Amino acid sequence: MELQAVLMAAGGGSRMMDLTYNTPKPLLPVGNKPLIWYPLNLLERVGFEEVIVITTKEVQKMISTDPKVKLDVKMKLDLVCIQEDADMGTADALRHIQQKVKTDVLVVSCDLITDAALHEVVDLFRAHNATLSMLMSKAHEFTETVPGQKGKKKTGEQRDFVGVDGTGKRLLFMANEADLDEGVVIRKSIMRKHPRMHIKTGLVDAHLYCLKKSVVDFLADNKSISSIRGELVPYLVRKQFSKSTNSPKVIDETHQNLKKNDSNISSRDEELLHLTQERSCWNDHRGDMSDAYHGGRLRCYVHIMDEGICYRVNTLAAYIEANRLAPKLFDEPAVHPSAVVSERCLIGADSIIGASCQISDKTSIKRSTIGVSTTVREKVKVTNSIIMHGVTIEEGCNIQGSVICSNAVIGRGADIKYCLVGSAQRIEPDAEVNITYHYKSITYNNCHKVSK
Amino acid sequence: MSSRGGKQKKGNVTSEQEEEEQPLQAVLVADSFNRRFFPISKDQPRALLPLGNVAMIDYTLEFLTSTGVQETFVFCCWMSNKIKDHLLKSKWCRPTSPNVVHIITSDLYRSLGDVLRDVDAKNLVRNDFILVYGDVVSNIDVSQALQEHRHRRKVDKNISVMTMVFKESSPGHKTRCEEDDVIVAMDSKSKRFSMVTDEFEIRHDLLDCHISICSPQVAELFTDNFDYQTRNDFVRGILVNEEILGNQIHLYVTQDGYGARVSNLQMYDSVSLDMVRRWVYPLTPEANFTDQQGQGCTHSRHNVYRGAEVSLGHGSQMEENVLIGRDTSIGANCHISNSVIGNNCTIGDNVVLDRAHMWNNVHVSSNVEIHQSVVCDGAVVKEAVRLNKQCVLAYNVVIGPNLSLPEGTVVSMHHPEEEEEDDDDEFLSDDQEVGHSKDKTRQKAFNPAEVGPEGKGYIWKASMNDTEDEELAQCLWGLVLNPDPESDSESEASEESQDRTFQLEVLGTLQRGLEENIVCDNLVLEINSLKYAYNITLKEVMQILTRVVLEYPFQQQGTQLTTLQYTGSLLPLLKTWSPVFKNYIKRAQDHLDCLSAVEELFLEQDTHQTAMVKVLMKMYQLEILEEEAILKWFSTGATNDKSRQLRKNQGVMRRMSLWRKESEEDESSEEGECGR
Repeated sequence: MELQAVLMAAGGGSRMMDLTYNTPKPLLPVGNKPLIWYPLNLLERVGFEEVIVITTKEVQKMISTDPKVKLDVKMKLDLVCIQEDADMGTADALRHIQQKVKTDVLVVSCDLITDAALHEVVDLFRAHNATLSMLMSKAHEFTETVPGQKGKKKTGEQRDFVGVDGTGKRLLFMANEADLDEGVVIRKSIMRKHPRMHIKTGLVDAHLYCLKKSVVDFLADNKSISSIRGELVPYLVRKQFSKSTNSPKVIDETHQNLKKNDSNISSRDEELLHLTQERSCWNDHRGDMSDAYHGGRLRCYVHIMDEGICYRVNTLAAYIEANRLAPKLFDEPAVHPSAVVSERCLIGADSIIGASCQISDKTSIKRSTIGVSTTVREKVKVTNSIIMHGVTIEEGCNIQGSVICSNAVIGRGADIKYCLVGSAQRIEPDAEVNITYHYKSITYNNCHKVSK
Repeated sequence: MSSRGGKQKKGNVTSEQEEEEQPLQAVLVADSFNRRFFPISKDQPRALLPLGNVAMIDYTLEFLTSTGVQETFVFCCWMSNKIKDHLLKSKWCRPTSPNVVHIITSDLYRSLGDVLRDVDAKNLVRNDFILVYGDVVSNIDVSQALQEHRHRRKVDKNISVMTMVFKESSPGHKTRCEEDDVIVAMDSKSKRFSMVTDEFEIRHDLLDCHISICSPQVAELFTDNFDYQTRNDFVRGILVNEEILGNQIHLYVTQDGYGARVSNLQMYDSVSLDMVRRWVYPLTPEANFTDQQGQGCTHSRHNVYRGAEVSLGHGSQMEENVLIGRDTSIGANCHISNSVIGNNCTIGDNVVLDRAHMWNNVHVSSNVEIHQSVVCDGAVVKEAVRLNKQCVLAYNVVIGPNLSLPEGTVVSMHHPEEEEEDDDDEFLSDDQEVGHSKDKTRQKAFNPAEVGPEGKGYIWKASMNDTEDEELAQCLWGLVLNPDPESDSESEASEESQDRTFQLEVLGTLQRGLEENIVCDNLVLEINSLKYAYNITLKEVMQILTRVVLEYPFQQQGTQLTTLQYTGSLLPLLKTWSPVFKNYIKRAQDHLDCLSAVEELFLEQDTHQTAMVKVLMKMYQLEILEEEAILKWFSTGATNDKSRQLRKNQGVMRRMSLWRKESEEDESSEEGECGR
């Protein structure tokens, strides 16, 4: 076994508004499959037979009991639960399973939907005996209107600056706009070793990392690092160019640990490799006469996808976009065999109808996903929407650009545009709702018309 | 339809032809506007210094001519007469020359900016022109760059004002000038200088050839911005105002070809050797491109060039990369490598020359050793002299015999002080100056210890001027910049030091509070303001505060305190400052953090570990710490062996239980009282 797969599925989905109010993020339906199915499928496709899934008790319970979130994967899932309220980061989670880690690891986030060729990332990892290799992709613009948002979403998130070398593979620099006081500062020593550096912005990190086992061991000794993306990766990228011999001796115990680990961090098979490197005339750079990799032992690489699908479903907008694209990722019949669909209705080719649905006459469904056991009555028009499981839509409804969560009931003749309707909510008959969320608080106040 | 198409095409052709017909112009600045080559350039302008026995300006002119320049304006200032004489005698001023050279002299030019402003004032250029210095050696074919430049200007309506020519060469390459270490940010697709796009490239592998293709606007821009002195000012100005004025600068990167500016002696050394090693082909020594009588030489293997009438003594070896000018005679058993020797030189027996650059009429006696040095016209090196690396013997200097010049010695017939006197009128008109200085030279005697018993000349000290600027100018061989120390992530270090300064500030505050009897509330205010000033989290504030207080006795009375003394002085302090503590320790987590700070300190001060119990007790009694927190800390907190040890030694638990009983008794008695 060369790599162990670790799936991080304990995130709360805090940026997804009320979508995750009742359903934990890993189990949100995307194209009528739970979100977690996509990374699992990705791993299965490339031949993993076993995967460690780090998740919460709640998710574990739902996976084992709820028939709607059937995971339909052949891999052996090793579910590890962590406490929800412990506020653990991804690195904490990795530290938590350190005992299980026997080789290098491939860490994937549960919200990744991609058709990337995984071997590209792993090949970089293998070819350069890298400490870290990761996947990035060009950021996508979300075109669909997001419920509850009027107009274009402002670019609130700060840009990431990513520096790669001339080949576009070696990761040299990483900084977030938020951390920069004035301009991008790049050390000249890096420039001397890598005279050509491309600085890119507008990339999304797919949160897919190959890490050396020694990095996991390093994490175990350094408890201060709690997030892979936020702390560990920038740390490793930075450490590529600092000489451990040069650093002043620190009395502080933790620092000494750190230093010890720096040298350890990439030391598997080092002796033999060193010999091969010495004997070989291969070099990773040209222009000067120094050794391959300039004698550095820590190396970070990145594969940047030029085309193809790569989404992180961590916002409502991304969720809607993913639902639109999901059908392209697997070839299954759009209409589930067990669904009861009237012949006199119109179902677009880009729609998905889940198992045991009931769709009545004179209904039109376009570019939408209808979840399991949902009932759609007569004369209903659904466009550009996501209907989750167990929803009932009464006669004559018009639903456009909305997300209806599980077990909601939409009263007869309701007109819903660009809304997010929370799970188990009832929308009164003939209601007219525009651009808003429709969730718990609204029904509590019995006010169903929020804005005209 | 077709006829119209044909017509249009024709029209295009004619307009293109018109453009083509306009002669390509160049502006050659035959002055460096600095004193880098002093004292050598005191006698000869830099453009006329020989490189491979040919004046540098000839290389530049040859380069321009070969790229198709038909009209060149040579601007001279310093020693303009000499340059003029040289050019008038050269092939460039013959009637057959394809490149018409106009010489424009003025004593008023002080910078590149002045020259270009004059270009604008005299309205010399009509179209795109090439701007070079008189000390650029290059064989780059810029026609490609020129085409790109013209294309851009046609497409983007004159937005691009300048195209700079760069050559790829990785850092550390020897033709890279240390002072000219450029880092360029560019848009990799459009080859534009910029930082504003989403994706850009930072390149450190480029060598600035100091060749730029300029639009006529460049001259106008220099006129508009009278504060622009150098090209760097210009580039910076354009980039800063890019959004306002809409002007852009592009670059052209070439992989092959050679281009370098001889900006200091280090560069002179490497360019000269590159020349001999034929990197600048077709500008090679044997080509005699200046077309002068008697300059021809033969090229044999290992890049050894010999001029006419060269005599070589028995047993002398010319190892590799050697160029010997005409009428030079070399004695027996000499060993010469990587050197250039000028015309009419005589070299004695048993001489070792390595990377020596000897100009014309130099006399070297026997048993001399010269390493990486420049020996100018008419210099005499007597018996058994050794020139170590980076020595310079200026015109007509005599050295020796039996002397070893230390590394970096500069000897000139001009006295360094006379140079300083001249500083007042910066721009010396050379002819007079040379005349009247001669008298002064005679007055001052040569120092035999410096230049040898028969020596003539004065030592120029490398850094004899005060201001940094001048120092730079004096550094003939260029700067040796130390690589920036690769510190272990600077940000961490600075953070740490910030904590440290914060700690000192807190200590100062407390000390003052004690001395001046300041109310604790005010101390809290002061510490809070410090917290914001140093951007420190509340948790750290509390830990640092704890640490400062506990270390206070050591701070005041030295570290040799006994445990008894320590507790004796600490406990009252704790009492005084307890309101400060209470202000910061509120939540349960704060208690634990404070306890861990206490623990950390006592782990360091292991001789005083027994005091810990007392401290904890006191803090408990003062209601700084809660009992539950202490118990929790005790039961859960042991993270490593040492702290476990600490806890065991103390028998804290035993005492804790004692307190507990006490306090329970207290409480119960209180309760009892209440009950009554």
